[in-house]
Amino acid sequence: MKNRNEFKTAETWQAYMFNAPLIIIALLFVFLPVIGTLITSFFRDVTFLPNKFIAFENYKELLSDGHFWQSVRFTLFFVFVSVTLELVIGLIFALTLNESFPGRSIFRIAILIPWAIPIAISARIWQLIYNYDFGLFNYIAIHLGITDQPISWLGSTIGAFFSIVISDVWKSTPFMTIILLAGLSTIPPDLYEQSLVDGTTMWQRFYKITLPLLKPVLVVALLFRTIDAIRIFDLIYVLTGGGPGGSTTSMSFYAYNFLVSGDYGYGSAVSVIVFILAALLAVLYIKFGQFKEVVS
Amino acid sequence: MKEDKVKKILLFLGAAFLIIFCLAPFVWMLVVSFSKHPDFLSAQSSFMLTVNNYIEIITTPSLHLLRYLLNSIIVSLVSAFFATFFASLSAYAITRMQFPGRILIPLILLAFSMFPQISIVGYLFKLMTWLGWINNYAALIFPYITLGLPLALWIMLSYFSQLSTELDNAALVDGATRFQILQKIIIPIALPGAFSTFVLIFIYSFNEFLFALMLTIDYKARTIPVGIALFEGLHGQVPWGYIMASAVIAIIPIIILIAFFQRYIIQGLSEGAVKG
Repeated sequence: MKNRNEFKTAETWQAYMFNAPLIIIALLFVFLPVIGTLITSFFRDVTFLPNKFIAFENYKELLSDGHFWQSVRFTLFFVFVSVTLELVIGLIFALTLNESFPGRSIFRIAILIPWAIPIAISARIWQLIYNYDFGLFNYIAIHLGITDQPISWLGSTIGAFFSIVISDVWKSTPFMTIILLAGLSTIPPDLYEQSLVDGTTMWQRFYKITLPLLKPVLVVALLFRTIDAIRIFDLIYVLTGGGPGGSTTSMSFYAYNFLVSGDYGYGSAVSVIVFILAALLAVLYIKFGQFKEVVS
Repeated sequence: MKEDKVKKILLFLGAAFLIIFCLAPFVWMLVVSFSKHPDFLSAQSSFMLTVNNYIEIITTPSLHLLRYLLNSIIVSLVSAFFATFFASLSAYAITRMQFPGRILIPLILLAFSMFPQISIVGYLFKLMTWLGWINNYAALIFPYITLGLPLALWIMLSYFSQLSTELDNAALVDGATRFQILQKIIIPIALPGAFSTFVLIFIYSFNEFLFALMLTIDYKARTIPVGIALFEGLHGQVPWGYIMASAVIAIIPIIILIAFFQRYIIQGLSEGAVKG
Protein backbone atom coordinates (compact mmCIF):
# COMPACT_ATOMS: atom_id res chain seq x y z
CA MET A 1 0.00 0.00 0.00
CA LYS A 2 2.76 2.38 0.95
CA ASN A 3 4.60 1.46 -2.21
CA ARG A 4 1.65 2.32 -4.36
CA ASN A 5 1.26 5.68 -2.70
CA GLU A 6 4.87 6.45 -3.30
CA PHE A 7 4.48 5.55 -6.94
CA LYS A 8 1.49 7.84 -7.14
CA THR A 9 3.34 10.76 -5.59
CA ALA A 10 6.25 10.25 -7.95
CA GLU A 11 3.92 10.19 -10.94
CA THR A 12 2.09 13.31 -9.77
CA TRP A 13 5.40 15.09 -9.32
CA GLN A 14 6.51 13.99 -12.80
CA ALA A 15 3.25 15.13 -14.35
CA TYR A 16 3.71 18.58 -12.87
CA MET A 17 7.24 18.71 -14.29
CA PHE A 18 5.77 18.03 -17.73
CA ASN A 19 3.29 20.84 -17.23
CA ALA A 20 5.67 23.28 -15.60
CA PRO A 21 6.90 25.22 -18.68
CA LEU A 22 3.36 25.76 -19.94
CA ILE A 23 2.03 26.80 -16.53
CA ILE A 24 4.92 29.14 -15.72
CA ILE A 25 4.83 30.95 -19.07
CA ALA A 26 1.05 31.31 -19.02
CA LEU A 27 1.13 32.66 -15.46
CA LEU A 28 3.90 35.16 -16.21
CA PHE A 29 2.68 36.52 -19.54
CA VAL A 30 -1.10 36.24 -19.34
CA PHE A 31 -2.23 35.88 -15.76
CA LEU A 32 0.19 38.36 -14.20
CA PRO A 33 -0.49 41.11 -16.80
CA VAL A 34 -4.25 40.72 -16.42
CA ILE A 35 -3.99 41.02 -12.64
CA GLY A 36 -1.61 43.94 -13.14
CA THR A 37 -4.14 45.65 -15.42
CA LEU A 38 -6.90 45.09 -12.86
CA ILE A 39 -4.80 46.60 -10.05
CA THR A 40 -3.67 49.52 -12.24
CA SER A 41 -7.31 50.33 -12.98
CA PHE A 42 -7.78 51.27 -9.30
CA PHE A 43 -4.97 53.83 -9.46
CA ARG A 44 -4.42 57.21 -10.93
CA ASP A 45 -1.43 56.04 -12.94
CA VAL A 46 -0.33 58.76 -15.34
CA THR A 47 3.21 59.22 -16.67
CA PHE A 48 5.15 61.94 -14.77
CA LEU A 49 2.61 62.03 -11.92
CA PRO A 50 2.91 60.11 -8.64
CA ASN A 51 0.71 56.99 -8.52
CA LYS A 52 -2.29 57.30 -6.26
CA PHE A 53 -4.85 54.71 -5.16
CA ILE A 54 -8.28 56.05 -6.08
CA ALA A 55 -10.44 52.87 -5.76
CA PHE A 56 -13.33 53.02 -8.24
CA GLU A 57 -12.83 56.62 -9.41
CA ASN A 58 -11.73 55.53 -12.93
CA TYR A 59 -14.85 53.40 -13.27
CA LYS A 60 -17.09 56.19 -12.01
CA GLU A 61 -15.57 58.46 -14.60
CA LEU A 62 -16.26 55.84 -17.28
CA LEU A 63 -19.97 55.88 -16.47
CA SER A 64 -20.27 59.54 -17.41
CA ASP A 65 -17.79 59.40 -20.29
CA GLY A 66 -19.76 59.87 -23.51
CA HIS A 67 -16.84 58.77 -25.70
CA PHE A 68 -16.60 55.52 -23.78
CA TRP A 69 -20.29 54.78 -24.31
CA GLN A 70 -19.93 55.63 -27.96
CA SER A 71 -17.14 53.02 -28.20
CA VAL A 72 -19.37 50.47 -26.46
CA ARG A 73 -22.22 51.17 -28.88
CA PHE A 74 -19.92 50.96 -31.90
CA THR A 75 -18.30 47.73 -30.70
CA LEU A 76 -21.59 45.94 -29.98
CA PHE A 77 -23.21 47.10 -33.21
CA PHE A 78 -20.14 46.12 -35.20
CA VAL A 79 -20.02 42.67 -33.57
CA PHE A 80 -23.70 42.07 -34.26
CA VAL A 81 -23.60 43.08 -37.94
CA SER A 82 -20.33 41.41 -38.90
CA VAL A 83 -20.78 38.15 -37.01
CA THR A 84 -24.26 37.75 -38.49
CA LEU A 85 -22.92 38.29 -42.01
CA GLU A 86 -19.99 35.96 -41.36
CA LEU A 87 -22.35 33.25 -40.16
CA VAL A 88 -24.60 33.47 -43.22
CA ILE A 89 -21.79 33.65 -45.79
CA GLY A 90 -19.74 31.07 -43.88
CA LEU A 91 -22.67 28.65 -44.00
CA ILE A 92 -23.04 29.16 -47.76
CA PHE A 93 -19.31 28.50 -48.26
CA ALA A 94 -19.29 25.48 -45.95
CA LEU A 95 -22.27 23.90 -47.75
CA THR A 96 -20.48 24.51 -51.06
CA LEU A 97 -17.17 23.01 -49.93
CA ASN A 98 -18.94 20.04 -48.36
CA GLU A 99 -19.98 18.84 -51.82
CA SER A 100 -17.42 17.03 -53.94
CA PHE A 101 -16.48 18.73 -57.18
CA PRO A 102 -13.32 18.92 -59.31
CA GLY A 103 -10.62 21.31 -58.07
CA ARG A 104 -11.94 21.44 -54.53
CA SER A 105 -8.46 21.78 -53.02
CA ILE A 106 -7.93 25.02 -54.98
CA PHE A 107 -11.03 26.36 -53.26
CA ARG A 108 -9.74 25.25 -49.89
CA ILE A 109 -6.50 27.16 -50.50
CA ALA A 110 -8.48 30.21 -51.65
CA ILE A 111 -10.57 30.21 -48.48
CA LEU A 112 -7.46 30.19 -46.30
CA ILE A 113 -5.93 33.26 -47.94
CA PRO A 114 -8.02 35.99 -46.25
CA TRP A 115 -7.64 34.20 -42.92
CA ALA A 116 -3.87 33.89 -43.13
CA ILE A 117 -2.91 37.37 -44.33
CA PRO A 118 -2.11 39.61 -41.33
CA ILE A 119 -5.05 41.97 -40.74
CA ALA A 120 -2.78 45.00 -40.63
CA ILE A 121 -1.63 44.14 -44.15
CA SER A 122 -5.02 43.31 -45.63
CA ALA A 123 -6.34 46.53 -44.07
CA ARG A 124 -3.91 48.46 -46.27
CA ILE A 125 -5.27 46.65 -49.34
CA TRP A 126 -8.80 47.57 -48.28
CA GLN A 127 -7.74 51.16 -47.62
CA LEU A 128 -6.73 51.40 -51.26
CA ILE A 129 -9.94 49.72 -52.46
CA TYR A 130 -12.02 52.26 -50.45
CA ASN A 131 -9.98 55.22 -51.76
CA TYR A 132 -12.21 58.16 -52.70
CA ASP A 133 -10.46 59.23 -55.92
CA PHE A 134 -9.11 56.02 -57.45
CA GLY A 135 -10.44 53.16 -55.32
CA LEU A 136 -11.85 50.03 -56.90
CA PHE A 137 -15.20 50.30 -55.10
CA ASN A 138 -15.96 53.80 -56.33
CA TYR A 139 -14.80 52.87 -59.83
CA ILE A 140 -17.21 49.92 -59.93
CA ALA A 141 -20.05 51.86 -58.32
CA ILE A 142 -19.77 54.72 -60.81
CA HIS A 143 -19.30 52.53 -63.89
CA LEU A 144 -22.26 50.32 -63.00
CA GLY A 145 -24.30 53.47 -62.55
CA ILE A 146 -25.07 52.74 -58.89
CA THR A 147 -24.01 56.27 -58.00
CA ASP A 148 -22.86 59.26 -60.03
CA GLN A 149 -20.82 60.78 -57.20
CA PRO A 150 -17.96 58.87 -55.55
CA ILE A 151 -18.86 57.48 -52.12
CA SER A 152 -16.82 58.67 -49.17
CA TRP A 153 -16.09 55.22 -47.78
CA LEU A 154 -13.71 56.13 -45.00
CA GLY A 155 -14.72 59.76 -44.56
CA SER A 156 -18.36 59.36 -43.54
CA THR A 157 -19.80 57.75 -40.43
CA ILE A 158 -21.88 55.14 -42.26
CA GLY A 159 -19.21 54.55 -44.91
CA ALA A 160 -16.51 53.99 -42.31
CA PHE A 161 -18.73 51.60 -40.35
CA PHE A 162 -19.45 49.45 -43.39
CA SER A 163 -15.85 49.63 -44.58
CA ILE A 164 -14.80 48.03 -41.31
CA VAL A 165 -17.61 45.49 -41.47
CA ILE A 166 -16.76 44.47 -45.06
CA SER A 167 -13.04 44.06 -44.29
CA ASP A 168 -13.78 42.08 -41.15
CA VAL A 169 -16.26 39.82 -42.92
CA TRP A 170 -13.65 39.15 -45.59
CA LYS A 171 -11.04 38.32 -42.99
CA SER A 172 -13.17 36.18 -40.66
CA THR A 173 -15.67 34.33 -42.83
CA PRO A 174 -13.04 31.68 -43.74
CA PHE A 175 -12.64 30.73 -40.10
CA MET A 176 -16.41 30.39 -39.74
CA THR A 177 -16.47 28.30 -42.93
CA ILE A 178 -13.82 25.88 -41.67
CA ILE A 179 -15.55 25.33 -38.33
CA LEU A 180 -18.93 24.80 -39.98
CA LEU A 181 -17.35 22.48 -42.54
CA ALA A 182 -15.98 20.36 -39.68
CA GLY A 183 -19.50 20.28 -38.23
CA LEU A 184 -21.06 19.28 -41.56
CA SER A 185 -18.62 16.39 -41.98
CA THR A 186 -19.84 14.81 -38.72
CA ILE A 187 -23.42 14.44 -40.02
CA PRO A 188 -23.82 10.78 -41.02
CA PRO A 189 -24.58 10.47 -44.77
CA ASP A 190 -27.14 7.66 -44.22
CA LEU A 191 -29.47 10.25 -42.69
CA TYR A 192 -29.65 12.00 -46.06
CA GLU A 193 -29.94 8.74 -47.99
CA GLN A 194 -32.81 7.59 -45.80
CA SER A 195 -34.69 10.84 -46.25
CA LEU A 196 -33.97 10.79 -49.99
CA VAL A 197 -35.81 7.45 -50.12
CA ASP A 198 -38.69 9.10 -48.28
CA GLY A 199 -38.89 11.65 -51.12
CA THR A 200 -38.03 14.85 -49.27
CA THR A 201 -36.89 17.98 -51.10
CA MET A 202 -33.47 19.57 -50.80
CA TRP A 203 -34.86 22.40 -48.62
CA GLN A 204 -36.61 19.98 -46.29
CA ARG A 205 -33.39 18.06 -45.81
CA PHE A 206 -31.57 21.31 -45.05
CA TYR A 207 -34.12 22.41 -42.42
CA LYS A 208 -34.86 18.99 -40.92
CA ILE A 209 -31.39 17.40 -40.92
CA THR A 210 -28.54 19.80 -41.62
CA LEU A 211 -29.53 22.80 -39.48
CA PRO A 212 -30.57 20.92 -36.31
CA LEU A 213 -27.50 18.67 -36.37
CA LEU A 214 -25.23 21.62 -37.08
CA LYS A 215 -26.68 23.68 -34.23
CA PRO A 216 -24.09 22.80 -31.53
CA VAL A 217 -21.21 23.68 -33.86
CA LEU A 218 -23.03 26.83 -34.99
CA VAL A 219 -23.38 28.02 -31.40
CA VAL A 220 -19.70 27.40 -30.67
CA ALA A 221 -18.55 29.11 -33.88
CA LEU A 222 -20.83 32.06 -33.14
CA LEU A 223 -19.53 32.51 -29.59
CA PHE A 224 -15.93 32.07 -30.66
CA ARG A 225 -16.24 34.73 -33.34
CA THR A 226 -18.13 37.08 -31.01
CA ILE A 227 -15.38 36.88 -28.39
CA ASP A 228 -12.84 37.56 -31.10
CA ALA A 229 -14.77 40.42 -32.73
CA ILE A 230 -15.41 42.22 -29.43
CA ARG A 231 -11.70 42.99 -29.12
CA ILE A 232 -11.36 44.44 -32.66
CA PHE A 233 -8.32 46.69 -32.91
CA ASP A 234 -6.01 46.14 -35.92
CA LEU A 235 -8.52 47.00 -38.64
CA ILE A 236 -9.55 50.21 -36.92
CA TYR A 237 -5.98 51.27 -36.26
CA VAL A 238 -5.11 51.03 -39.96
CA LEU A 239 -8.40 51.84 -41.72
CA THR A 240 -10.03 54.71 -39.85
CA GLY A 241 -7.93 55.54 -36.79
CA GLY A 242 -11.24 55.52 -34.92
CA GLY A 243 -12.74 58.28 -37.06
CA PRO A 244 -14.46 60.14 -38.48
CA GLY A 245 -15.23 62.01 -35.27
CA GLY A 246 -14.61 58.95 -33.08
CA SER A 247 -17.53 57.11 -34.69
CA THR A 248 -15.53 53.91 -35.32
CA THR A 249 -13.54 53.88 -32.08
CA SER A 250 -13.84 50.38 -30.64
CA MET A 251 -13.44 49.70 -26.93
CA SER A 252 -9.96 48.22 -27.46
CA PHE A 253 -8.91 51.19 -29.56
CA TYR A 254 -10.29 53.62 -26.97
CA ALA A 255 -8.28 51.88 -24.24
CA TYR A 256 -5.19 51.85 -26.45
CA ASN A 257 -5.36 55.61 -26.94
CA PHE A 258 -5.16 56.13 -23.18
CA LEU A 259 -2.38 53.57 -22.75
CA VAL A 260 -0.12 55.15 -25.39
CA SER A 261 -0.77 58.65 -24.10
CA GLY A 262 0.49 57.50 -20.70
CA ASP A 263 -2.81 57.34 -18.81
CA TYR A 264 -2.46 53.72 -17.63
CA GLY A 265 -5.09 53.93 -14.91
CA TYR A 266 -7.99 54.98 -17.12
CA GLY A 267 -6.81 52.87 -20.08
CA SER A 268 -6.67 49.85 -17.78
CA ALA A 269 -10.20 50.50 -16.53
CA VAL A 270 -11.49 50.45 -20.13
CA SER A 271 -9.47 47.26 -20.77
CA VAL A 272 -11.04 45.62 -17.73
CA ILE A 273 -14.51 46.29 -19.15
CA VAL A 274 -13.50 44.65 -22.45
CA PHE A 275 -12.13 41.78 -20.40
CA ILE A 276 -15.37 41.33 -18.45
CA LEU A 277 -17.45 41.32 -21.65
CA ALA A 278 -15.19 38.68 -23.20
CA ALA A 279 -15.12 36.64 -19.98
CA LEU A 280 -18.93 36.45 -19.81
CA LEU A 281 -19.02 35.13 -23.37
CA ALA A 282 -16.10 32.77 -22.65
CA VAL A 283 -18.06 31.12 -19.84
CA LEU A 284 -20.87 30.42 -22.30
CA TYR A 285 -18.38 29.17 -24.88
CA ILE A 286 -16.73 26.70 -22.52
CA LYS A 287 -20.15 25.52 -21.38
CA PHE A 288 -21.44 24.94 -24.91
CA GLY A 289 -18.15 23.66 -26.32
CA GLN A 290 -18.32 20.38 -24.33
CA PHE A 291 -14.58 20.64 -23.74
CA LYS A 292 -14.70 18.65 -20.52
CA GLU A 293 -15.70 15.50 -22.40
CA VAL A 294 -12.55 15.68 -24.50
CA VAL A 295 -10.25 15.74 -21.50
CA SER A 296 -11.92 13.15 -19.30
CA MET B 1 -34.00 15.34 -61.98
CA LYS B 2 -35.05 18.98 -61.64
CA GLU B 3 -33.69 19.18 -58.11
CA ASP B 4 -30.33 17.94 -59.30
CA LYS B 5 -30.15 20.83 -61.71
CA VAL B 6 -31.03 23.41 -59.07
CA LYS B 7 -28.39 21.93 -56.82
CA LYS B 8 -25.78 22.14 -59.55
CA ILE B 9 -26.57 25.78 -60.25
CA LEU B 10 -26.45 26.63 -56.53
CA LEU B 11 -23.14 24.83 -56.18
CA PHE B 12 -21.72 26.74 -59.11
CA LEU B 13 -22.93 30.07 -57.71
CA GLY B 14 -21.52 29.24 -54.27
CA ALA B 15 -18.15 28.28 -55.71
CA ALA B 16 -17.98 31.39 -57.93
CA PHE B 17 -18.95 33.64 -55.02
CA LEU B 18 -16.30 31.99 -52.82
CA ILE B 19 -13.50 32.50 -55.34
CA ILE B 20 -14.37 36.14 -56.09
CA PHE B 21 -14.93 36.94 -52.41
CA CYS B 22 -11.61 35.44 -51.27
CA LEU B 23 -9.34 36.40 -54.13
CA ALA B 24 -10.52 39.79 -55.43
CA PRO B 25 -8.64 41.95 -52.86
CA PHE B 26 -5.64 39.66 -53.19
CA VAL B 27 -5.58 40.02 -56.98
CA TRP B 28 -6.09 43.77 -56.66
CA MET B 29 -3.00 44.00 -54.44
CA LEU B 30 -0.97 42.14 -57.09
CA VAL B 31 -2.24 44.36 -59.90
CA VAL B 32 -1.45 47.64 -58.12
CA SER B 33 1.96 46.37 -57.03
CA PHE B 34 2.91 46.03 -60.71
CA SER B 35 1.54 49.40 -61.79
CA LYS B 36 3.61 52.51 -62.29
CA HIS B 37 0.64 54.64 -61.26
CA PRO B 38 -1.39 53.28 -58.35
CA ASP B 39 -4.17 55.75 -59.22
CA PHE B 40 -4.59 54.28 -62.73
CA LEU B 41 -8.36 53.97 -62.28
CA SER B 42 -8.79 57.74 -62.37
CA ALA B 43 -9.27 59.35 -65.78
CA GLN B 44 -5.97 61.27 -65.88
CA SER B 45 -3.80 58.23 -65.24
CA SER B 46 -2.82 54.96 -66.91
CA PHE B 47 -1.62 51.53 -65.77
CA MET B 48 1.91 51.06 -67.21
CA LEU B 49 3.42 47.74 -66.11
CA THR B 50 6.56 47.95 -63.95
CA VAL B 51 8.54 45.98 -61.37
CA ASN B 52 10.06 49.19 -60.07
CA ASN B 53 8.00 49.11 -56.87
CA TYR B 54 9.60 45.82 -55.89
CA ILE B 55 13.11 46.95 -56.77
CA GLU B 56 12.70 50.22 -54.85
CA ILE B 57 11.42 48.70 -51.62
CA ILE B 58 14.10 46.01 -51.60
CA THR B 59 17.00 48.30 -52.44
CA THR B 60 16.06 51.25 -50.22
CA PRO B 61 17.77 50.42 -46.91
CA SER B 62 15.92 53.10 -44.94
CA LEU B 63 12.63 51.26 -45.48
CA HIS B 64 13.93 48.19 -43.57
CA LEU B 65 11.35 46.02 -45.30
CA LEU B 66 13.43 42.85 -45.47
CA ARG B 67 14.55 43.38 -41.88
CA TYR B 68 10.90 43.57 -40.73
CA LEU B 69 10.18 40.38 -42.63
CA LEU B 70 13.21 38.66 -41.10
CA ASN B 71 12.12 39.80 -37.61
CA SER B 72 8.65 38.39 -38.22
CA ILE B 73 9.98 35.06 -39.42
CA ILE B 74 12.44 34.65 -36.54
CA VAL B 75 9.93 35.62 -33.86
CA SER B 76 7.21 33.40 -35.34
CA LEU B 77 9.50 30.38 -35.80
CA VAL B 78 10.83 30.52 -32.24
CA SER B 79 7.39 31.14 -30.72
CA ALA B 80 5.78 28.35 -32.74
CA PHE B 81 8.52 25.91 -31.80
CA PHE B 82 8.33 26.51 -28.06
CA ALA B 83 4.53 26.72 -27.95
CA THR B 84 4.32 23.36 -29.74
CA PHE B 85 7.03 21.79 -27.58
CA PHE B 86 5.61 22.93 -24.23
CA ALA B 87 2.05 22.04 -25.29
CA SER B 88 3.20 18.54 -26.33
CA LEU B 89 4.87 17.90 -22.96
CA SER B 90 1.73 19.01 -21.20
CA ALA B 91 -0.64 17.11 -23.47
CA TYR B 92 1.39 13.94 -22.97
CA ALA B 93 1.06 14.18 -19.20
CA ILE B 94 -2.64 15.06 -19.35
CA THR B 95 -3.59 12.16 -21.63
CA ARG B 96 -1.38 9.49 -19.99
CA MET B 97 -0.89 10.31 -16.35
CA GLN B 98 -3.20 10.69 -13.36
CA PHE B 99 -2.71 13.84 -11.28
CA PRO B 100 -4.82 16.48 -9.59
CA GLY B 101 -5.54 19.33 -12.00
CA ARG B 102 -5.32 17.40 -15.25
CA ILE B 103 -8.78 18.53 -16.31
CA LEU B 104 -8.35 22.02 -14.91
CA ILE B 105 -5.14 22.94 -16.79
CA PRO B 106 -6.58 22.82 -20.33
CA LEU B 107 -9.77 24.56 -19.23
CA ILE B 108 -7.90 27.39 -17.53
CA LEU B 109 -5.68 27.76 -20.57
CA LEU B 110 -8.75 27.87 -22.78
CA ALA B 111 -10.11 30.67 -20.61
CA PHE B 112 -6.74 32.47 -20.91
CA SER B 113 -7.01 32.34 -24.69
CA MET B 114 -10.23 34.34 -24.50
CA PHE B 115 -8.59 37.22 -22.65
CA PRO B 116 -8.63 40.29 -24.89
CA GLN B 117 -5.09 41.37 -25.77
CA ILE B 118 -5.84 44.92 -24.74
CA SER B 119 -6.28 43.75 -21.13
CA ILE B 120 -2.77 42.28 -21.23
CA VAL B 121 -0.76 44.75 -23.29
CA GLY B 122 -0.74 47.73 -20.91
CA TYR B 123 0.84 45.84 -18.07
CA LEU B 124 2.99 43.80 -20.46
CA PHE B 125 4.50 47.08 -21.62
CA LYS B 126 5.43 47.93 -18.03
CA LEU B 127 6.78 44.43 -17.43
CA MET B 128 8.92 44.51 -20.58
CA THR B 129 10.20 48.00 -19.76
CA TRP B 130 11.20 46.75 -16.31
CA LEU B 131 12.94 43.72 -17.86
CA GLY B 132 14.64 45.96 -20.42
CA TRP B 133 13.17 43.87 -23.26
CA ILE B 134 11.38 46.61 -25.19
CA ASN B 135 12.41 46.55 -28.88
CA ASN B 136 13.87 43.09 -28.35
CA TYR B 137 12.75 39.77 -29.87
CA ALA B 138 12.16 38.40 -26.35
CA ALA B 139 9.44 41.02 -25.76
CA LEU B 140 7.42 39.38 -28.55
CA ILE B 141 8.49 35.75 -28.27
CA PHE B 142 7.28 35.14 -24.70
CA PRO B 143 3.84 36.69 -25.20
CA TYR B 144 3.48 34.91 -28.56
CA ILE B 145 4.27 31.55 -26.97
CA THR B 146 1.48 32.25 -24.49
CA LEU B 147 -0.90 33.27 -27.25
CA GLY B 148 -0.18 30.02 -29.08
CA LEU B 149 -0.24 27.66 -26.09
CA PRO B 150 -4.02 27.17 -25.70
CA LEU B 151 -4.58 26.25 -29.35
CA ALA B 152 -1.43 24.10 -29.37
CA LEU B 153 -2.48 22.29 -26.20
CA TRP B 154 -5.96 21.52 -27.49
CA ILE B 155 -4.72 20.20 -30.81
CA MET B 156 -2.04 18.07 -29.16
CA LEU B 157 -4.57 16.78 -26.62
CA SER B 158 -6.88 15.56 -29.32
CA TYR B 159 -3.91 14.11 -31.18
CA PHE B 160 -2.45 12.26 -28.18
CA SER B 161 -5.82 10.90 -27.12
CA GLN B 162 -6.08 9.17 -30.51
CA LEU B 163 -2.69 7.46 -30.07
CA SER B 164 -2.77 4.06 -28.43
CA THR B 165 -1.26 3.84 -24.94
CA GLU B 166 -0.20 0.20 -25.39
CA LEU B 167 3.32 1.00 -26.52
CA ASP B 168 4.16 3.31 -23.65
CA ASN B 169 2.48 1.05 -21.08
CA ALA B 170 4.69 -1.79 -22.27
CA ALA B 171 7.74 0.45 -22.02
CA LEU B 172 6.73 1.52 -18.50
CA VAL B 173 6.57 -2.14 -17.43
CA ASP B 174 10.05 -2.60 -18.89
CA GLY B 175 11.26 0.11 -16.57
CA ALA B 176 11.59 3.03 -18.96
CA THR B 177 11.13 6.49 -17.46
CA ARG B 178 8.37 8.78 -18.63
CA PHE B 179 10.88 11.06 -20.26
CA GLN B 180 12.51 8.20 -22.17
CA ILE B 181 9.11 7.10 -23.40
CA LEU B 182 8.32 10.60 -24.57
CA GLN B 183 11.63 10.92 -26.33
CA LYS B 184 11.84 7.47 -27.95
CA ILE B 185 8.22 6.53 -28.59
CA ILE B 186 5.84 9.45 -28.36
CA ILE B 187 7.70 12.25 -30.13
CA PRO B 188 8.32 10.20 -33.29
CA ILE B 189 4.66 9.25 -33.66
CA ALA B 190 3.38 12.66 -32.59
CA LEU B 191 5.43 14.58 -35.14
CA PRO B 192 2.69 15.01 -37.77
CA GLY B 193 0.30 16.42 -35.16
CA ALA B 194 3.02 18.62 -33.75
CA PHE B 195 3.83 19.84 -37.22
CA SER B 196 0.32 21.04 -38.01
CA THR B 197 0.26 22.78 -34.62
CA PHE B 198 3.57 24.43 -35.45
CA VAL B 199 2.27 25.75 -38.78
CA LEU B 200 -0.86 27.20 -37.17
CA ILE B 201 1.00 28.93 -34.34
CA PHE B 202 3.50 30.29 -36.87
CA ILE B 203 0.67 31.91 -38.83
CA TYR B 204 -0.95 33.30 -35.66
CA SER B 205 2.35 34.81 -34.49
CA PHE B 206 3.06 36.20 -37.93
CA ASN B 207 -0.35 37.92 -37.83
CA GLU B 208 -0.11 39.49 -34.38
CA PHE B 209 -0.29 43.28 -34.37
CA LEU B 210 -1.09 44.98 -31.05
CA PHE B 211 1.81 43.54 -29.02
CA ALA B 212 4.27 44.18 -31.83
CA LEU B 213 2.97 47.74 -32.15
CA MET B 214 3.43 48.52 -28.46
CA LEU B 215 6.50 46.50 -27.54
CA THR B 216 8.82 47.38 -30.44
CA ILE B 217 10.23 50.75 -31.46
CA ASP B 218 12.17 50.39 -34.70
CA TYR B 219 13.63 48.00 -37.25
CA LYS B 220 15.58 46.06 -34.61
CA ALA B 221 12.49 44.13 -33.60
CA ARG B 222 9.53 45.60 -35.51
CA THR B 223 7.52 42.96 -37.37
CA ILE B 224 6.25 43.19 -40.94
CA PRO B 225 2.53 43.84 -40.16
CA VAL B 226 3.50 46.86 -38.05
CA GLY B 227 6.04 47.99 -40.63
CA ILE B 228 3.43 47.94 -43.39
CA ALA B 229 0.72 49.52 -41.23
CA LEU B 230 3.03 52.43 -40.43
CA PHE B 231 4.34 52.78 -44.01
CA GLU B 232 3.93 56.45 -44.80
CA GLY B 233 5.08 58.59 -47.70
CA LEU B 234 7.64 61.34 -47.46
CA HIS B 235 5.65 64.24 -48.83
CA GLY B 236 2.21 63.46 -47.51
CA GLN B 237 1.42 61.28 -50.51
CA VAL B 238 0.73 57.64 -49.70
CA PRO B 239 3.13 55.46 -51.75
CA TRP B 240 0.51 52.86 -52.69
CA GLY B 241 2.74 51.06 -55.19
CA TYR B 242 5.40 50.48 -52.54
CA ILE B 243 2.87 49.45 -49.93
CA MET B 244 1.24 46.87 -52.20
CA ALA B 245 4.60 45.48 -53.30
CA SER B 246 5.62 45.20 -49.62
CA ALA B 247 2.35 43.44 -48.86
CA VAL B 248 3.04 40.92 -51.63
CA ILE B 249 6.53 40.20 -50.31
CA ALA B 250 5.24 39.98 -46.73
CA ILE B 251 2.67 37.33 -47.48
CA ILE B 252 4.84 35.09 -49.66
CA PRO B 253 5.87 32.92 -46.67
CA ILE B 254 2.21 32.63 -45.67
CA ILE B 255 1.03 31.68 -49.15
CA ILE B 256 3.73 28.99 -49.38
CA LEU B 257 2.59 27.53 -46.05
CA ILE B 258 -1.05 27.47 -47.15
CA ALA B 259 -0.32 25.94 -50.52
CA PHE B 260 1.66 23.08 -49.01
CA PHE B 261 -0.13 22.45 -45.73
CA GLN B 262 -3.74 23.37 -46.52
CA ARG B 263 -5.01 20.02 -45.20
CA TYR B 264 -3.09 20.26 -41.90
CA ILE B 265 -4.19 23.85 -41.32
CA ILE B 266 -7.87 23.11 -41.85
CA GLN B 267 -7.68 20.03 -39.65
CA GLY B 268 -5.82 21.86 -36.89
CA LEU B 269 -8.21 24.81 -36.93
CA SER B 270 -11.32 22.66 -36.66
CA GLU B 271 -9.84 20.48 -33.92
CA GLY B 272 -8.65 23.46 -31.92
CA ALA B 273 -11.91 25.35 -32.04
CA VAL B 274 -14.66 22.77 -31.92
CA LYS B 275 -13.41 19.72 -30.08
CA GLY B 276 -11.06 16.80 -30.41
